[in-house]
Amino acid sequence: MGLEVDIIFKIAGVGIVVAFLHTILDQVGKKEYAQWVTLFGFIYILFMVANIVDDLFQKIKSVFLFQG
Amino acid sequence: MMKIIGAIFIIVATTWTGFEASRHLSERPRQLRLLKSALQSLEAEIMYGHTPLHEAARRLSTQLAKPISWFFESFAKKLTESDTTVKDAWESSLKEIWKLTAFKQSEYEIMKQFGETLGRHDRLSQQKHILLTLSHLEREEMEARDRQSKYEKMVKSLGFLSGLLLIILLL
Repeated sequence: MGLEVDIIFKIAGVGIVVAFLHTILDQVGKKEYAQWVTLFGFIYILFMVANIVDDLFQKIKSVFLFQG
Repeated sequence: MMKIIGAIFIIVATTWTGFEASRHLSERPRQLRLLKSALQSLEAEIMYGHTPLHEAARRLSTQLAKPISWFFESFAKKLTESDTTVKDAWESSLKEIWKLTAFKQSEYEIMKQFGETLGRHDRLSQQKHILLTLSHLEREEMEARDRQSKYEKMVKSLGFLSGLLLIILLL
């Protein structure tokens, strides 16, 4: 459980920093860079979440299908 | 413990990079202003003082602040010690000093063009060339100031925030 809390904080940190970067790049008129930064941050977090969800599915599988 | 030390190293490095870039941005208008005042004094020396070029360059090198004064110093030295043309001396001292300034390619071209006209005309057309160069530099300065006001803050916070992001990603 401790590990999951860690990951939540990490996601929150990435979100805050990416939001800041987006605002700053937006203010100086570099809209396209801002969008790229947000997109990459989103993809990174998506991969992290996908790993956790994969763990969850494995666990469900092992519980209900009696494998390993 | 090691992690924290590494994180501090990363944040210091990226923040420093950001500040260095912003210093470069704020340095360019300042040096352009210096260059403009240098050319104005050169015009005064030529028009009213009737000073020979190497003498004028030496005087300018003592009057002005650092990166530009080096340029005029080496120019004066080249004119007195070796027997090159003014154009060659101007260009080679321009090349020598260029890495130490915050100028860009466009200023280099302007100064090079000016060096080609230097010492080849009478005083009046020399004055006209100086005025032309001054107006070019004026335009560059406006552009540099524009960039400074636009990007200076951004570069600073971008350095810090990218360091923060890197730390979070590596944690």
